[in-house]
Amino acid sequence: MTRRPRRRALPLEGVRVVDMTWVWAGPCACMFLAMLGGEVIKVESRDRLDFFRRYVIWSLADAAPTELSTDGSMMFLSANLNKLGVTLTLGRPEGKDLLKQLIAVSDVVVENMRPGAMPRMGLGYEDLRRVNPAIIMLSSSARGGSGPESRYAGYAAVNHAIGGAAHITGYPDGPPGYALGDVDLMNATTSAFAIVAALRYRDLTGEGQFIDYSQSEGVTSLIGEVLLEYQMTGRIPGRKGNSDELMAPHSVYPCWGVDRWLAIAVETDDEFAALCGLMEMPELATDPRFATAAARKRNEAALDETIAGWTRQQDRDYVANRLCTAGVAAAPSRDAQDLFRDPHLRARDVFVEVEHPEGGSHDVVGLPWKMSDCEPAIRRAPRLGEHNDYVFRDVLGLEPAEIERLRREGVIE
Amino acid sequence: MAAAAFEGVKVVEFAGMVSGPYCGKLLADMGADVIKVEEPPDGDPARKRGPFPDDEPHPERSGLFLYLNTNKRSLALDTAKPGGREALARLIDWADVLIDNHAPVTLDGLGLGWEMLHERNHGLFLTSITPYGRTGPRAACKGTDMTGYHAGGLGTLLPPRSTDVSRAPVKAGGYPTGYHAGLTAALATAAALFGRREGDGCLIDVSEQESILSLVRGFVAQTVHQRVTWSRVPDRPPAFGRMECSDGYVVSHLVEDHHWRGLVELMGNPDWASGEEWKDYAYRCGHLFEIGHKIDDWARRQKKEDFHHKGAARGFAVGSVYNAEEVLNYRQYRARDYFVEIEHPEAGTLRHAGWPYKMSASPPRIQRPAPLLGENSAEVLRDLLGYSDDDYRRLRRSGAVWKEGPA
Repeated sequence: MTRRPRRRALPLEGVRVVDMTWVWAGPCACMFLAMLGGEVIKVESRDRLDFFRRYVIWSLADAAPTELSTDGSMMFLSANLNKLGVTLTLGRPEGKDLLKQLIAVSDVVVENMRPGAMPRMGLGYEDLRRVNPAIIMLSSSARGGSGPESRYAGYAAVNHAIGGAAHITGYPDGPPGYALGDVDLMNATTSAFAIVAALRYRDLTGEGQFIDYSQSEGVTSLIGEVLLEYQMTGRIPGRKGNSDELMAPHSVYPCWGVDRWLAIAVETDDEFAALCGLMEMPELATDPRFATAAARKRNEAALDETIAGWTRQQDRDYVANRLCTAGVAAAPSRDAQDLFRDPHLRARDVFVEVEHPEGGSHDVVGLPWKMSDCEPAIRRAPRLGEHNDYVFRDVLGLEPAEIERLRREGVIE
Repeated sequence: MAAAAFEGVKVVEFAGMVSGPYCGKLLADMGADVIKVEEPPDGDPARKRGPFPDDEPHPERSGLFLYLNTNKRSLALDTAKPGGREALARLIDWADVLIDNHAPVTLDGLGLGWEMLHERNHGLFLTSITPYGRTGPRAACKGTDMTGYHAGGLGTLLPPRSTDVSRAPVKAGGYPTGYHAGLTAALATAAALFGRREGDGCLIDVSEQESILSLVRGFVAQTVHQRVTWSRVPDRPPAFGRMECSDGYVVSHLVEDHHWRGLVELMGNPDWASGEEWKDYAYRCGHLFEIGHKIDDWARRQKKEDFHHKGAARGFAVGSVYNAEEVLNYRQYRARDYFVEIEHPEAGTLRHAGWPYKMSASPPRIQRPAPLLGENSAEVLRDLLGYSDDDYRRLRRSGAVWKEGPA
């Protein structure tokens, strides 16, 4: 195994990743690796275009597009930042050979086809190991690569339901909630973590490995205490809205305007006194119904009604700031527009503007942390096959005439 | 040869509740040596939170604490007592990583802020998890799991298909913000460790709000450019989302044409869904609402597990909404050995959620259950930091160090 030099600041500098994933969870996992400095090469084919390239539900250039472009989907552009893009026809033996050549000079392969699909194409872990013994391969699927339901299909919302999180989300008197793409992003983060761990293990030992990733299990691992509650009490945990087992007030309150909401959480008596002060009801802080955390929890319904009576007259963002300044945890329930305009997030450069040849500039969300002296440059997602020349010529060392032939014959599209 | 991915990594976890501890657990379960610093007499606030066996609170039996603190050792240290701060400083000098989820003023107040720590231990990574990050106008604001979830933009999408907008948006169940922030912090920390250059640590500033925002990045991008604001209100076609069955709920998500064909076939090819036009994705997007109630009527006559397994057999994504009991009995998880059985001296033997990654060469594993408060105080101070027996006794006498658990 060759140790790669790491002179520059980004942690995954020098790590090459072959990204064979599509839709959302897999591409976002590879995007994290790319934003961390890895050279991520997304392998695509026109026969099997990424869902978000085919169904351009939300286009970049035009809110009501008359012509759909494979390069202009907002969802695609949000899940594939900082990557290089190549096109290969894997149905052709030469296409498969080129992929193997690429994997031979790479560190990581990530794919999220149904379990079994890669081995059937001769691209399973055992096959890839033969071309690169130290390769790290992560296969991500809805329910994992083994077991009786390994071939069941799944998207984020379904994995969320199976994993046990939907059942505990919602109002106590309402139906279970379900997730949207957020579960995919969570699984993307977890997958990226497992891959980085495997990279470190390879640094220690020289060994690569295969990672069988289950997206449903990813959901369950984030509700560990809920499984223990059932075992410890015999009770099946249900839906609890916004409430907390100890804190009160701990809810989301209506503010002035239409559908404007403010989350307020009080932990200590001092925080409660500060809240009562702002409400101009200082007597509540010493009212025996509310003077201690336990009393507040017992009389939560009455307390919530009093607070809502006050917040209804208040401007959401103004009162949120006043509460924060007074030392009380309070946050508007923010929608995407609120977030995009949030001066705090602006001050932290959370949104990054990138240029795109089709639609001008667009804004994306960067990495969810700041590493000192190590800010990655965010680059737009690749157009279909945009980096064929770089990858086949510079990485694999093919002659231009050879690339031209492969293109003509439809191996490189 | 190393047995684990983070073998040899020394971590101090100066953190409580969910975010910092989950970050520490993810590293510890893969071999990092994690020393958890807890403040006596109560220790990690998670110890006061349930679930508890038979609902009887006990600091060594909190399910939340037991799950989040596997494979760690506990040092009970009161930094306000003589020698306490010095012991913490020496422990951080030993470490590669410090996970901190207090407000930055806490370590600053001990004279152990980032600048000072960086000077003392140049290779240290400080993974700092705060409600809003360490910079920006809201840097000093407090936050909880619920406020973080709403501040980050996810609450506004729940519960989906809300018909009554006079009811508030809700957070997901459990501690979603803490878990996601911990996960985010673990990825950043692992990457920093992998990419470490000689003697060069850094500050990793993790914002809980941004950890949640990261999960809705697609909606934010769409909203900004299309001026479509996602919310919990709009109805969705039944092909996406929750359906009520005779004995519970399923969730489905139909994307590709063959998924739709699978559902129509399962419903017995009713006339109202069998026309040629329904084969077209764009047509379905625009018209599913018209036949949604018919699909819902059909679903209400099904048993959820029938729908789930028959739908899967037809190749489309549908799954039962499982509760904790059903998850624990789920045949797929059992077949994959997803759960890990952990024996704890105070809480007995319990089945914990495992890890979603099965790693062929360096699998995560449980080497010890969550520690008792102060269980490892003596070994940490004497064996790790080289305190003499006399110095150790002095710290015990001053009340700076606690030792609990089995004698």
